[in-house]
Amino acid sequence: MGAFSLITDTERRVPRVVVVGLASCFGCQLQITNAEQYLMQILGQIDLQYWQLVTSEDMPDQYDVAIIEGAVTTRESEETCKAVRAKAAHVMAIGACATTAGVTGMAMPGLDGRIAEVYGDGLPDASGEFIAPRPVSAVIPVDSEVRCCPIDPLDFVAMLQRALFGSNRSLDTRTLCSDCKRNETECFYNSGTLCLGLVTRAGCGARCVNLGRPCNGCAGLSPDANLDAARAACDTYGVSRADFDKALEMFNQVNPVLAESGDE
Amino acid sequence: MLYRVMDKRELPALVRAFMESYEVVAPVKRGSGYIFDVIGSPEEIELDYTQTASSPKKYLMPPTETLMKFDANMNLVEDFIEQVTPRVIFGVHTCDINALNRLDVALIGGKYVDPYYQARRDATIVVGISCVPNENCFCHLWGADEAQFGYDLFLHDIGDKYLVSMSNVEATNILEAACELSEATDEDRIAFRQATRVRQSAFNKDIPDVQDVAMLMDVFHSDPFWEELGKKCLSCSACASVCPTCFCFDIRDVLTPDGKTGERQRTWDACTNPGFAMVTGGHNFRPTGRERVRHRMYHKLNGFFVNHDRMLCVGCGRCVTACKTGINPIEVLRFFKRKGADHAK
Repeated sequence: MGAFSLITDTERRVPRVVVVGLASCFGCQLQITNAEQYLMQILGQIDLQYWQLVTSEDMPDQYDVAIIEGAVTTRESEETCKAVRAKAAHVMAIGACATTAGVTGMAMPGLDGRIAEVYGDGLPDASGEFIAPRPVSAVIPVDSEVRCCPIDPLDFVAMLQRALFGSNRSLDTRTLCSDCKRNETECFYNSGTLCLGLVTRAGCGARCVNLGRPCNGCAGLSPDANLDAARAACDTYGVSRADFDKALEMFNQVNPVLAESGDE
Repeated sequence: MLYRVMDKRELPALVRAFMESYEVVAPVKRGSGYIFDVIGSPEEIELDYTQTASSPKKYLMPPTETLMKFDANMNLVEDFIEQVTPRVIFGVHTCDINALNRLDVALIGGKYVDPYYQARRDATIVVGISCVPNENCFCHLWGADEAQFGYDLFLHDIGDKYLVSMSNVEATNILEAACELSEATDEDRIAFRQATRVRQSAFNKDIPDVQDVAMLMDVFHSDPFWEELGKKCLSCSACASVCPTCFCFDIRDVLTPDGKTGERQRTWDACTNPGFAMVTGGHNFRPTGRERVRHRMYHKLNGFFVNHDRMLCVGCGRCVTACKTGINPIEVLRFFKRKGADHAK
């Protein structure tokens, strides 16, 4: 597992890559095509054996890098992840659904009732056996992640290269605010407006804030997120704690940290 | 210091003269605040600005810069110094001039000179402007309320005129060619003295003036205060991003999408980033907010001082605004003040 064995493998052959889609809108797979300017160059570095978005064929038996989009929401997709892990030297999760369970995680409260509400008695076999939504990393060890909803195509390219060639770039876990300071954009809290940058993992460069929108947390909670301090900051700046916690549910519903630290 | 008096109405002429041969950056309005940005005309400048969101540091040590380029096809490494733009930073407060002097000490004052910083510093003219402190300013506590050096021109506001300190020939030549200067009169001297009094008395007296701060940092190194302060840290490093003297960086290689060429980049890093003190093998020397916040304050208020005889904090007050949970050097001073009160009991 990991980049090391992969690098030695690539001395013998071009890395074989598969792209797998689980519960998601498939938008992150589509985002890859938005790197169209570079697609031929990227394809020149890999042997793309399977891309679920563009084929009805079955997955090949052997591959080196597996890219997984989407959340794990069924027993079948859980098995898929395990099978992929057993074969791939490197597993990459892409997009909010695969890295945080994302929007599918919002189905968590009262999940059983929701399924009956949508499907009644006629749950199709093709739906599979539902389980609580979870990120890929909750099922198998993941070697790398490309975060956000949707992913940035060039973030994906950079992470793929990291898998192929290794990288000396450290992955930061700090939260977003320092990026806003670099960009010299105005902090939403100064005008009493909720923004999830206080606790959300940096890496996107605060692009929503650059476009005048508060962070909605699609990169997921930083492992170093300080929820208590962020809620205290909400108090200081006249932002409702309840609104803050509610907003966090969109991309962090199944994050155990959120469940543990629930604000009374 | 050589000084002359200049009528304020001449200011646009001075700026335009600089614009002929330099890129001029100056404080401009952005949203409800101010930033340093490239100007297109002197009218954009807001010289009455209180404080910019971030400091002029970004022009000498950009958030991300290229150190070298490499090409695997050609097996080539190309040393790289970005084409340096000759630049005037116009309207810099004393705190930020003193901050540049501290960056000079750290980056070009030692045995190993940072050529990237040096190239930009050499190509930069700094024009200072006097200011009146806002409620978060505490530059006077660290002796950063006066700029003894580190600028090329300094404009002291004395009503409808500036008393201009001149410390660089090139900038002085431009000034003299663009503006009518006069010798200071007794009236000008009195006006300058009055301005310094107004400024001195305008500092927020609720910010404690504490003796021996560097030593106190050592003495109270293990106090529970650091746990309290560290517990509030959001691990965002907003403080370091706005700080005019934070100079820590990370270096990384970035490939182009074809995987064959790329560049080595330097990017701002900060000791408040959770992974900053992580080493190979996974051990993190400063795993929690307590260690990280304390370390940052130590470098600002102790470590740099004992090595270079001046605080690394210049009291600009930016972190006071930037930190959403109230972690800043003023809180450290208040802690020391409380300790003094404890002792008196």
